[in-house]
Amino acid sequence: MNVPPRNLTTTLLEFIKNDLAADKDISDLRPDDDLLEGSIVDSLGIMRLITFIEKEFGFAVPSEDVVIENFLTVSAIVEYLTPKLAESNND
Amino acid sequence: MKAAERAPEACAFRCGGKQLSYAELDAASDRLSRFLVKQGVVRGDRIGVFMPRCVETVVAVYGILKAGAIFVPIDPNLSAGSVATLVNDCEIKVLLTQPPRARVLSRLVELETTLECLIGTPEDFETPSSIKSFQWHACESESTGLPDVGVINPGDPAYIMYSSGSTGTPKGITHTHYSGLSYSRLSIETYNVSSDDVIANHSPISFDMSTFGYFTSMLAGATTVLVPEAHTKFPASLARLIEKERITIWYSVPLALVQLMLRTELPSFDMSSIRWVKYGGEPFAPRHLCALMKLWPHARFSNVYGPAEVNQCTYYHIPPSYADGGDEPVPIGRVWNESAGLVINDSDEVLLNGKPGELVISSPTMMQGYWARPDRNANAFFEYASEGVSRTYYRTGDLVQRRDDGNLMFLGRKDRQVKIRGYRIELDEVERALSGLPEIEEAGVFCVSTDDEKQIHSAVIPEEGALITAEEIKSRLLSVLSPYAVPTVIQVVDQLPRTVSGKIDRTTLTKETEQAIG
Repeated sequence: MNVPPRNLTTTLLEFIKNDLAADKDISDLRPDDDLLEGSIVDSLGIMRLITFIEKEFGFAVPSEDVVIENFLTVSAIVEYLTPKLAESNND
Repeated sequence: MKAAERAPEACAFRCGGKQLSYAELDAASDRLSRFLVKQGVVRGDRIGVFMPRCVETVVAVYGILKAGAIFVPIDPNLSAGSVATLVNDCEIKVLLTQPPRARVLSRLVELETTLECLIGTPEDFETPSSIKSFQWHACESESTGLPDVGVINPGDPAYIMYSSGSTGTPKGITHTHYSGLSYSRLSIETYNVSSDDVIANHSPISFDMSTFGYFTSMLAGATTVLVPEAHTKFPASLARLIEKERITIWYSVPLALVQLMLRTELPSFDMSSIRWVKYGGEPFAPRHLCALMKLWPHARFSNVYGPAEVNQCTYYHIPPSYADGGDEPVPIGRVWNESAGLVINDSDEVLLNGKPGELVISSPTMMQGYWARPDRNANAFFEYASEGVSRTYYRTGDLVQRRDDGNLMFLGRKDRQVKIRGYRIELDEVERALSGLPEIEEAGVFCVSTDDEKQIHSAVIPEEGALITAEEIKSRLLSVLSPYAVPTVIQVVDQLPRTVSGKIDRTTLTKETEQAIG
């Protein structure tokens, strides 16, 4: 599946706002907001987010890539995922 | 702050790229204490610490103590409503915080509370006129030296830790300077902590396990690395942090270690610096524990036991041979120095000869009592005289049995003992049987009350790749448990709800199931 970065951003933001942190009142969440220190996403949330990414984009995130710098913000996730998705698309 | 005089330049705390030497911590906490006194704080005032794991949190803790006040750690992930409950319970007027909490703080200041002052808010933070607000650096212009607050006595309260809230209304566990210092002293003795140690503090400050990283370390002149919250959510990042910081003593709930094993390539990290792994809070599944002991043969492993009311009270150093043997549960061990433990029955009679009963503990690390809960305090303690000396014991509510070798075995919580159709069942025993099956990674067992009966339910997470159905689990359990103890319902799930300290949240499991059944 080829997902352009902008749609990727929107899809992730929507999932976090409406599903993952639905009880947190974060309708103004921005791509560069820290997801971890502001306690928006907890550790179970990270696992759900990865499951979502794997189902939605058909890409299995290897455990060594599940690190802070790849998941700190929505922008960071997009930056990490974009080349990975392009790669798996070319396979 | 003796360590500040001995080795002022030594690093006391490190967290996410920032660090504080003993001298810097001493000076910064002096300034904060003077600022607090200027804001009208007097001895015995309760001050909230609504902060994440960062070096400023350490300054907050010691600044509050130097002002003669009592610090009240508040889980930084709580909602505004829950924060307000704690604030009002012990009448907090001053709350120390950090700018990332702004979202929750804006809601908090709109609620009916005893708050009068916030320190550590972002610039331009708006508050009602009844609440003053300062940025963190406001106290930096204060001079150093202790403020004049009179002599602080060992029996004065130092901190109030609220129970994690998995059982009804949170209770404020009130510890004194004496009980806190006793814990630091005894834990230094038990684990040979020295100024060469680098201690990893994995627990949030609102959880009693953090006292090892915040207090013990200071008394020993060691360095504590506060594990940032982000790292607790990413095992691979956490493994890198342990390697890079050359951690020598690790202390956490078993879950953090199990996640390191299951969700990282743990053997690829250099963990040779770790000399002691301490775990507590709940049992460590024996097969995971054995696997970790084999992976880190250079480290000693210890089981730590003690309710927050006594902080720690028993210790068990696991023999290295356990790694090859065992599927036996690990004992909670022996009562530590200067303390006494008794096993009693429901009629408060002391039991001998290894009979199972409730553990009661008398230790210098024991709390003073629950904050403003005379009803609770009346039932929390037990007086017993032996050889003419009377001691006060805390009733742990935990069922234990003394083995022939003198080590205590944990059997379960007293309130986790249920009676169904006349049979007495230990829910914790059922849980151990379930998680003992090789296909099960973790299990939560709980009792559900419907209109006409009680039933045992369980939620289990299977091992990765394991294929097992609820029916198969039930038939396997029948070979190790009596038929009446096998759960009526077994749900296979991906995740279990957890409390702030990482324990399985059985109260939530029970509530959700009861609601679903209607």
